[in-house]
Amino acid sequence: MDIRRLFALLKIELKKIIREPAYVFLMFLFPAVLTIVFGFAFSDPELGMSFNAMAPGLFAYACIFIIMIVAQSFSDGREQGLLRRLAITPMKASEFMGSQILANMIIAMLQVLIVFILAQFFGFSANTNIFGIILAILLMAIFSLSSVGLGLITATISKSSGVATGLSFLFILPQMFFGTFIPITSTTRPIAMILPSYYATDALRSIFGGSSLIASNILIDFAFISIVSFVIVILGIILFKKYGNK
Amino acid sequence: MAETKSKLKSYQKPENIINPDDELAIEVRGLKKYFKGKKGFEDVKAVDGVSFNVKSGEIFGLLGPNGAGKTTTINMLIGLIKPTDGTASIYGYDIQESLSDVKELIGVCPQEHAVFKFLTGRENIELFGSLYSMPKEDLKKRADELISKLDFSNASKRKTKGYSGGMLSQLNLIISIINNPKLTFLDEPTVGMDPRARRRTWEFIGNLKNERRTVLLTTHYIEEAQALCDRVAIIDYGELLTIGSPKDLMKKYESDNLEGVFMKITGRRIMEGM
Repeated sequence: MDIRRLFALLKIELKKIIREPAYVFLMFLFPAVLTIVFGFAFSDPELGMSFNAMAPGLFAYACIFIIMIVAQSFSDGREQGLLRRLAITPMKASEFMGSQILANMIIAMLQVLIVFILAQFFGFSANTNIFGIILAILLMAIFSLSSVGLGLITATISKSSGVATGLSFLFILPQMFFGTFIPITSTTRPIAMILPSYYATDALRSIFGGSSLIASNILIDFAFISIVSFVIVILGIILFKKYGNK
Repeated sequence: MAETKSKLKSYQKPENIINPDDELAIEVRGLKKYFKGKKGFEDVKAVDGVSFNVKSGEIFGLLGPNGAGKTTTINMLIGLIKPTDGTASIYGYDIQESLSDVKELIGVCPQEHAVFKFLTGRENIELFGSLYSMPKEDLKKRADELISKLDFSNASKRKTKGYSGGMLSQLNLIISIINNPKLTFLDEPTVGMDPRARRRTWEFIGNLKNERRTVLLTTHYIEEAQALCDRVAIIDYGELLTIGSPKDLMKKYESDNLEGVFMKITGRRIMEGM
């Protein structure tokens, strides 16, 4: 693997996010707006709802939308012939995929920071130390791998970027409704148990709730997210390489 | 139209500097590509047993109507698609067994304008250069040289989102040779260009020959093939119909131009297939 090539591609990926208004909105403004709207809506004690309890779900909520961005980005690249053109150069597939994964990990970490800082204004208090915050950021970076993988799977089965946008909701909606801040019932729990976002939110809730960072439920959540995210991203890469770039 | 022709006619074809014992840049033997037909239909024979050689330093043209098999042939040679049968090598490297070596030697100007729309022209050029692991200083120097040769200085500072078709074609061409390739594949490189840009591009391609670089050019512009190519292969329906220098082919088929040659062989005009 040529690190210089990987970083050249990573730089381009990050430039895209800064220069394309749609990406700026989805990646950075969306989590910010979401935090502000939910902050105003649920921080009133008269409602009997605690913003503190739902804030961890917001971190995962923002990260789930990476699925749509990745699906759109790969479908666009395929439609415009860019992926073919890149494939003609000596660049290795691992360098390209590595740059995509790194870019999205950086985005996920920035999203955590945005939500974390804004949530403070609505009374969110993280009952943890600096290591807890670092662990939360790391957790979301790993969780973003599953979003990259699901984005690749979406791009593989989509014929165009428009279709990819629509199909990405197949993976976004279940994670959004059953794995973030919406209360889980006994009916929805079996669905939630197979969703990475459920474990990400659960771990964040424990971290910010003041649990020991090596508490068994945090370790189990961490292990689950790591394994599932790794499997999903590998599956996404294999499927896209085999069927997606035609 | 008359003005266009006169501008293009002023182009001087470079001298033929090929020696008979020059090394082979491309060696193609019985190359086939069949695409699986839809249910109940036969396979589509996109390329059907094509064989030819291209010598180092030669400008070699693949001439034929749309759908003749030109781009499919190129796509096999650059490793984008696998041949159904046959072999091909680039400077002695087998395209299937040593593709990574092949990629270091070639540059490709694809038919589609595949560039990053959110980057400037120069950023695109430098990105693709960096994928060939070119040292930063060399890359900057090379980008400056190519931008100046194609009079692309102003455009190179702007984002490609607002480029015209001709500007995108020029950028496509610059990217394809940023790595100083020994062999460049140019797939319809002048589509969408105005006569001035096309003439500059012809001169530019001619200069590649003076630098003893090999070019495989596909085009359906007869005058382009005649003006630039040392030899051309005419292909249609995936089969190679004839091969030779434009002059020899015109003499052999008693015709004034390559369009006439194509017509004598197939009974159709090249433009009819478009």
